[in-house]
Amino acid sequence: MAIQGAEQTILRDPALFYWILFPISIVMILTGILRHYATVLMNNAPKSASTLAESRERLALLRGVNLRNNACSVLDRESFEMRKNYMVTGFRNGAFLKDPNNRGQPPANPMTDPAGMEAMMGMLKGNMMMMIPQTLIMSWINAFFSGFVILKLPFPLTIRFKSMLQSGVMTRDLDVQWVSSLSWYFLNLMGLQSVFGFILGSDNAANQMAQQMGMANPAAMVNPLQPGQDPDKLYLNEAENLEVMEHFCILDGVEERILQNFAPAGI
Amino acid sequence: MAGPVADTREISGSDLISALHLAQQAPAILGQASRSGDTPNSSDTADYYARLEQLLLACLRTGDDQSAQTCLNRLSLRFGPSNERIMGLRGLYEEATAKDQPALEKCLQEYDNTLSQSPVNVPILKRRVALLRSLNRPSDAISGLIQLLDAIPTDAEAWCELADLYQSQGLGSQAIFSLEEALLIAPNSWNIHSRLGELLYICASEGDASRLLGRSVQHFSRSIELCDDYLRGFYGLTLASTRMLDNDYAGVSGQLPKKTLERLKAFALLKLGEIVESRSVDDQHWASSRSELIAAKELLNRQ
Repeated sequence: MAIQGAEQTILRDPALFYWILFPISIVMILTGILRHYATVLMNNAPKSASTLAESRERLALLRGVNLRNNACSVLDRESFEMRKNYMVTGFRNGAFLKDPNNRGQPPANPMTDPAGMEAMMGMLKGNMMMMIPQTLIMSWINAFFSGFVILKLPFPLTIRFKSMLQSGVMTRDLDVQWVSSLSWYFLNLMGLQSVFGFILGSDNAANQMAQQMGMANPAAMVNPLQPGQDPDKLYLNEAENLEVMEHFCILDGVEERILQNFAPAGI
Repeated sequence: MAGPVADTREISGSDLISALHLAQQAPAILGQASRSGDTPNSSDTADYYARLEQLLLACLRTGDDQSAQTCLNRLSLRFGPSNERIMGLRGLYEEATAKDQPALEKCLQEYDNTLSQSPVNVPILKRRVALLRSLNRPSDAISGLIQLLDAIPTDAEAWCELADLYQSQGLGSQAIFSLEEALLIAPNSWNIHSRLGELLYICASEGDASRLLGRSVQHFSRSIELCDDYLRGFYGLTLASTRMLDNDYAGVSGQLPKKTLERLKAFALLKLGEIVESRSVDDQHWASSRSELIAAKELLNRQ
């Protein structure tokens, strides 16, 4: 049992500092940067709609949402009812679907649908980019540096931190202030975000250009449909939302409002 | 170097004078890149390419085709000739430098070819509509635009263009519908609100005049509420409320009482006077809206 209050002292070779602490930190930073650029390289822009009907299928939903959100600030009752009826009938009949004949059939298996396959591939690539370097470095550290105590924190900590700071060192009595090499790796893994932000410029510097050139094309900009999702279901949902909407118009009484808010008192 | 950049931002570029100012900066902007050509990273920013695009448009308007060509080459060197936006800009350049009618027809042919390969090339779709319009085939332009909007109903710019086309064909109610759609996408844009007010005011000469004029007053008021020194909004409010008062629409079924309308008109005139006075002092800064200012002065003199 460690004596409470007494300072534990461990004689450490100062070379531990140069040969373990520094290499781990530097390797972590370098892999972080490498991973960033690899992601940028392999990240391809989301695929834009290839036919007009496909683009309509995606954007009709947004049109419904726009109507629902913004009708109150633009339309009077008559034109709102007209638009609402048009959108609701369109959603119900499947008039906006890519091919209305396939309506009601179960959605294609995302494994066989090439577009869905591509989206899944993108996700997989992103995950791989995280997983592979982590596994490699973790096994590298385990093989070379496991079991070293490399650092003493200059402040006391409670016993709860023991599992966080001393993984790989199976000593029950060791004071929590001591940090093992494996834990140093984990601390780096979690804590280097701000360093990357400093080095790589808030993480977006490399992606900005692609976004900018994509902006000209509203068809490519958004795809509210996830792969494998059935647009028909979303449409029916949206139709219901539109149906229950209460109409009010902020244009009613706007004249009084501006007179009250902007006009000087004498008028 | 900071000078021309700041200026570029300030000038809106929507009228010829400021477009000319912009285009005259071409050597500065284009030269700046070649000087820093040895460090490509310094000029390879989104900002720089946005500026190049602006410069291209300004140069085309002012007839500096050579600088425009340079801009276009730099852009397509960076983004590749198959980028949709670059294709649109190249089409614009070809159109602008076309000598005669057959050359324009050839451009149209090219657009159709491109579209048969990639039907959702938005910049080219839009260029095609604009070209049809300048070839004086408005009904083709309208049908092209409707096709575009059927596929991409969330494009406010296209809806505004459609409204303008409809209005040029004298189809007022269709134009109003299109502008309302544009407003549904961008509900807080005071310029579209006031444009809709103008359209309603124009359409009010036929049919349901009192209701349309009432709505026109509402939209002008809304545009003022959103931007409280918008010259066009006050100008329109003055005209619309004056006409309502003259035709005795005040108080008719659900319309504003006469007193409110009179107060609205007085308020609009007062603000117009203030705006005209303040902007006449700072003439250079408001150069791009000089014609609006003159019209407002003329209205004030008439009253």
